[in-house]
Amino acid sequence: MFYSDYVPYNSLAGRVHNGGSGETVRAGLKEDLVLTEQSHKQDAGNRIGSVLVVGAGIGGMQAALDLAGSGFMVHLINDEPSIGGTMSRLDKTFPTGDCAMCMISPRMVESSRHPNIRMHTLARATKVEGREGNFTVTITEKARYVDAERCTGCGACEAECPSRVANIFNLGLDRRKAIYALFPQAVPNTRAIDAEHCLFLTRGVCRKCEKVCDANAINFDDSDKEYELKVGSIILTPGLKTYDPAIRQELGYGRLQNVVTSLQFERLLSASGPCGGVVARPSDGGHPKRLAWIQCVGSRNAHNANPWCSSVCCMYAAKQSIIAKEHDPEVDATVFYMELRAFGKDFDKYIDKAKFDSGVKYRRAMISEIIEVPETKNLLIHSVDEEGRLVNEEFDMVILSIGFEPRPDALELAQIFGIATDQYGFAQTSKLAPVATSRPGIYVAGTYQGPKDIPETVIQGSGSAAQAMALLGGSRGSEIEETVLPAERDIVGEEPRVGVIVCHCGVNIAGTVDVAKVAEVASHQPGVTHAETIIYACAPDGQQKIRDLIREKGLNRVVVASCTPRTHAPLFQDTIREEGLNRFLFELADIREQCSWCHMNDKEKATAKAIEIVNMNVAKTRLLEQVTSNAVGVTHAALVIGGGIAGMTASLSLAEQGYDVHLVERQNTLGGLLSQVRRNLEGDDVQAYLVDVRNKIAQNERIAVHLGVSVDNTEGFVGNFNTRLTDGTVFSHGAIVLASGGTEYAPTEYGYGSSPGIMTQRELESWLAASEPKVSDRFVMIQCVGSREEPANYCSRICCQDALKNSIAIKERQPEAQVVVLYRDLRAYGLKEDYYRQARDLGVLFFLYVPERKPEIIVDGNGFKVRIDGRVLGGEMEIDADYLILSTGLRPQEDAQQLSQTYKLTRNGDGYFMEAHVKLRPVDFPSEGLFLAGLAHAPKNLEETISQSLAAAGRAGTLLSRDNLTVSGIIAKHDRDICMSCLACFRACPFGSPFIDEDGRVSHNEVKCTGCGICAGICPAKAFQVNCFRDNQILAMIDSVTGAD
Amino acid sequence: MTADGEKIEERQSPEKPCEIPPDWKANIIAFACHYCAFAAADLAGVMRLSYLPNSKVIRLPCTGKLDHIYVLRAFERGIDGVFVAG
Repeated sequence: MFYSDYVPYNSLAGRVHNGGSGETVRAGLKEDLVLTEQSHKQDAGNRIGSVLVVGAGIGGMQAALDLAGSGFMVHLINDEPSIGGTMSRLDKTFPTGDCAMCMISPRMVESSRHPNIRMHTLARATKVEGREGNFTVTITEKARYVDAERCTGCGACEAECPSRVANIFNLGLDRRKAIYALFPQAVPNTRAIDAEHCLFLTRGVCRKCEKVCDANAINFDDSDKEYELKVGSIILTPGLKTYDPAIRQELGYGRLQNVVTSLQFERLLSASGPCGGVVARPSDGGHPKRLAWIQCVGSRNAHNANPWCSSVCCMYAAKQSIIAKEHDPEVDATVFYMELRAFGKDFDKYIDKAKFDSGVKYRRAMISEIIEVPETKNLLIHSVDEEGRLVNEEFDMVILSIGFEPRPDALELAQIFGIATDQYGFAQTSKLAPVATSRPGIYVAGTYQGPKDIPETVIQGSGSAAQAMALLGGSRGSEIEETVLPAERDIVGEEPRVGVIVCHCGVNIAGTVDVAKVAEVASHQPGVTHAETIIYACAPDGQQKIRDLIREKGLNRVVVASCTPRTHAPLFQDTIREEGLNRFLFELADIREQCSWCHMNDKEKATAKAIEIVNMNVAKTRLLEQVTSNAVGVTHAALVIGGGIAGMTASLSLAEQGYDVHLVERQNTLGGLLSQVRRNLEGDDVQAYLVDVRNKIAQNERIAVHLGVSVDNTEGFVGNFNTRLTDGTVFSHGAIVLASGGTEYAPTEYGYGSSPGIMTQRELESWLAASEPKVSDRFVMIQCVGSREEPANYCSRICCQDALKNSIAIKERQPEAQVVVLYRDLRAYGLKEDYYRQARDLGVLFFLYVPERKPEIIVDGNGFKVRIDGRVLGGEMEIDADYLILSTGLRPQEDAQQLSQTYKLTRNGDGYFMEAHVKLRPVDFPSEGLFLAGLAHAPKNLEETISQSLAAAGRAGTLLSRDNLTVSGIIAKHDRDICMSCLACFRACPFGSPFIDEDGRVSHNEVKCTGCGICAGICPAKAFQVNCFRDNQILAMIDSVTGAD
Repeated sequence: MTADGEKIEERQSPEKPCEIPPDWKANIIAFACHYCAFAAADLAGVMRLSYLPNSKVIRLPCTGKLDHIYVLRAFERGIDGVFVAG
């Protein structure tokens, strides 16, 4: 199915898209810019409603799912045999400690099953022609040598393959076969043959995999394919490469066995990694107790590594050390770091958890060398402690926290797609348009744009999708196909006629379980009309067989006993639906993952268990009822709360996508906090940008701006909200973007307000705009004023950037002026490290202070003396200053409390709104239809705010694009007749779906229901029943397992 | 012994515990959340981890769906153990 849509290279002429004139435009920036002007006017409706997403990591999948969900055809290409990217290699993610695979796996399955996504694995783009709205991309797809249509993912071939090679997925920590799946949960769930190491493909002997494959999926005649795709837009999410620490020989990587990289350590921690989650030392397989992490390996070093900060290493080292401690409480963890860059939302709290709950030792020291003890292969690290003494410590294992860098083919990619890169090879973007590349119609997300973590990658994925939606909005739905299904047969009143299909799965099940016996026993169960075995139920011929049986035997319910329902149930549900049966008259009995694969050594007991599993599923299936999914309409308009840059950006994006917007701002002007900012760290003219955005808002007919008012009340639910403003205006809308912003902290510390010489960074910026610093001027900046300590114990993220921006501005204009920055950790993350270096090169002095000994200010005539505990020079220091600059942080908006009550939204301990999921749903609220952007979420800079606002607009746009919302089948059904309105459900439901209706009784809003069944469990009257998990169905399973008596 | 040093007789259960046959294996029902514990059970299979075959998994949309009656019914009908994972 993956290949059905590609255009054979030579037959393109037969498939020119509607409106495509056939003219080819050379991929080149100049021509494009000229043509763009015309294209906007001419072919807004002729743009191709499909998008190419290059790279299927978490960012690419996010973009693909958003676009596919709003009616665009998406071609998702990936050069590996499975989608998943870097995140699939991680063990767990902080702060929740969720298993990374458990989070990403459902996304991978969703991406592979989405009707509007075509997945192309082992594929690369090699040529791009055309212009925005109409690109022609040549794709080269490497031979897989395994027919993905036939392969069932059973893995019998892998067991037979004699060729062993280093497992790249596990970073060389173990070996895999030449025929392989990238990882156990690979999507597509099919093997690929590594042509470089296959004995038959290299030497013409072997073919063992072919002999053992019952599905006849091995195809040695496979060859590389080349084809063209026509798309309207392109999103680049190719991901990253990690730094190769072997270059730094002094750290011993590649030379000393027990020195591993942080990514290798992720695999060592992982339960599906090379040592099954019990961390083993490479040298002797022993269990290491003394672990050291060395930070900034390959980062923040312009000499033999990368000059930038990789943004993520501080946090993953904290995570790894906490998890290592969880694995083994006796682990003694030490992190050697230069600066703790815990700049994100709740990051500092996580570092505190590492330090104080897990007892991880943090040492501020640069490590120059690792020495191996020859006898034990233990590792010696010399460091200098805070008192200046030399310390020697021995460790069992050392983990190098390696940073990110652009992929080796990053420049080649840039050439192929005709986009500009920055000096380091990252895709170049403006800070004011963070997901737009230099070529119109091509967008970028994730680490190809610069180092960033998972949530920021996901944000950019949604943000770039929003840009593509705005570009191609007129062509939405033009490339996708609606499948026409036969009418559903009504089975109400029919006696159960269950068909049971027991799958051999080649030898995977049949090799352990006596499948014939399982089918035989099942055939005697009550309600079973027919039972038989099939070699591969999921193969096309198996599916056809199931359809035939439904027709011939008059089945009205089907049980397939094979693999896991998590990945395969939708396939079989589609099959029975095609034959006119309701999708929910199906159950999958998992006798592979949960039986044959775990009990290979005891075939008799495995068979007995398989019989029990099948019987209990038959018992449930007998009672299954058809489920009809209701649909509700969607109002194609959005409410945006907050008229700062976040709200304005989201409004503009939504309007460009084609939706009406109500933008509500409490103040009498638009602009919010940005009105007070002149330039950003990178030097963009922020005020000019703000004027431009305001003008665009004013000129956009779709945006209704409501100034000087706030929301009085909102009623309704996703897709159908009604809002009344304080001025009485009433309107309906389908989505809400909450961008209520934050405020700047007004300091009380350090004598602020007592002298005109004491300013905040913002005030200094204005001062610098009005006056010229003198040669003799002495500026002292104090960081973290009112941040990272109670009552606002979090990093405000922007203050270090402000300090760098203003100190560089002073030094560039007046090199003789003295600028001193007193800091705790200089958090110049990502590519902002360049400015930290530039400031040092310009002669800005940076001195460390600790919160226990804050700088003391002594008024001295017209100036000040600043006294600090000079750690580097030893002893106390006094610095003379004419101007004292306080780097003040950010606070949540005052009315955040009220908004959280109006919309029933939770906030974190610091007062910022909580997103639905900190990693994978960073702009969604848990309540459907509400989205989050900007400072309301957490402190962030302008670029990050714009990204997140685009993402929120993209997510909202995906919702608003639908004509109606189909309620999921697996939801709780409420029986109002037996409900006593005791409110137990009302209190327990995390999604607010039970509500008190106009009669004062409990009703249930099925649109909000996720089917978790908490209401059903708690309801004393059993008025709630979850479709497909009704009490009688579960009890039937229990009764089946507990015997026939 | 209580704090006063008074000795407390251990109460005898009115039902005599039955003899455990030597080849007896507990019959266990596991209620597993579709999204995590059920997925973990699948992963155990994918990794070919071996465990005793005397547990059967009943999939729930969330362990929040677990009802008292499920546990009571299972014990009433003679199950030896109930495992809830999610």
